[in-house]
Amino acid sequence: MYGRKGYQLVKDFASGEKGQLKPFNSKLFDETVEECDQNHHLIQSLIRKMQQEGLDVQNNRNADHYGALVHHLSLIRNKRCLMAYVYNRVEIVRDLAWRVGLELLDLPSEIQEKLTTLEKEYFKNHSVAIKTYMGKVGIELNVDMVPPKDPYIKVRVLDDIDEGIVLGDKVTNFSRHSMHFVKRTDAEPYISRGQMEELTG
Amino acid sequence: MAKYFDIDDILIEEEYVPVVFHKAANGVTIDPSAETNCVEQGSKVEVPFWLAQELHSRQAVSINLPACFNQKTRLEVQADAACVDLRSRCPYFYEFGCKLEPLVTDRTLGILLSTAFKIRYKETLTKVYTAAHITASKYLSFLTKEETNLYEAAHLSMAAFKKWRTGGPRFQRASILGRKRKDSSN
Repeated sequence: MYGRKGYQLVKDFASGEKGQLKPFNSKLFDETVEECDQNHHLIQSLIRKMQQEGLDVQNNRNADHYGALVHHLSLIRNKRCLMAYVYNRVEIVRDLAWRVGLELLDLPSEIQEKLTTLEKEYFKNHSVAIKTYMGKVGIELNVDMVPPKDPYIKVRVLDDIDEGIVLGDKVTNFSRHSMHFVKRTDAEPYISRGQMEELTG
Repeated sequence: MAKYFDIDDILIEEEYVPVVFHKAANGVTIDPSAETNCVEQGSKVEVPFWLAQELHSRQAVSINLPACFNQKTRLEVQADAACVDLRSRCPYFYEFGCKLEPLVTDRTLGILLSTAFKIRYKETLTKVYTAAHITASKYLSFLTKEETNLYEAAHLSMAAFKKWRTGGPRFQRASILGRKRKDSSN
């Protein structure tokens, strides 16, 4: 059936967990584009046939016309699938920039591997746009929306973080499982990346 | 066009519907019973909804009801809508039905959809608030995609309510990164 590859591509996206990236399926993506090409060739050959028979291609409604129509609709369908695939991935890429961090290299490596070169490019450009805007309005827009009760929080380190990170005014050794009392704003990026967790109670 | 990029909408429109061709079409291989690669006038073929809809609007085909809305399903829905396994019949039972309704001659489809939904919606909500998440899993496999979304939304709001009452860390790892790998804490 026509439009099958596009459907498989969208299905592949939908089978992942909601709002989370899967590696870019370039094999299926290319196959869908190829199917579009085939549809395109068949439309052209049907129209050429009608022209050779001396028929008015615009207004004639013969079997060739409906054949070409089916191919045209299949092509449009595959196009929609391709567009939706790229568009929905880009939405996730934008979310990453807003919720995890504006630097590509700060993203966990397993996420970075799933992005294509173009998506990385988009991520960088989007980050630049956000930064420029935040610089202009003078507000950091990507921090926690709820005002904190206390500017300091207690955190536990979950993952090995490179040593020598300066938080506030002192250099601290953030070895795994160590606990710290730090400024909330300093800890937020580490928590959202899953490298620290907030301790309560 | 509002749903052009909508993944669910694309998946709904891939559902197959039986159509009767009023016009012949050359150079297409969509009729598996045809010997040549063309569709004869009057032949009955199953095509995806996206194709059927467009061909219908050009008066090239007429659409019949797909098997998931047949008499058997209707009788089962009348008997006890809450226990019918709708997902195996059509994962997008309601939305697909809504798209189909203006294109078919059957005028009872709308009533079927709304009765089924009313009864099942009530049942779904009751299940969320009473049954534990694990015991509900058998019931969950009967739900269509739309009902699963409702179930999950209700479940999330219950969880959020409990969290609000008991307190806990407000700030957490971004959900977009996926579930935490268990091995990283060992």
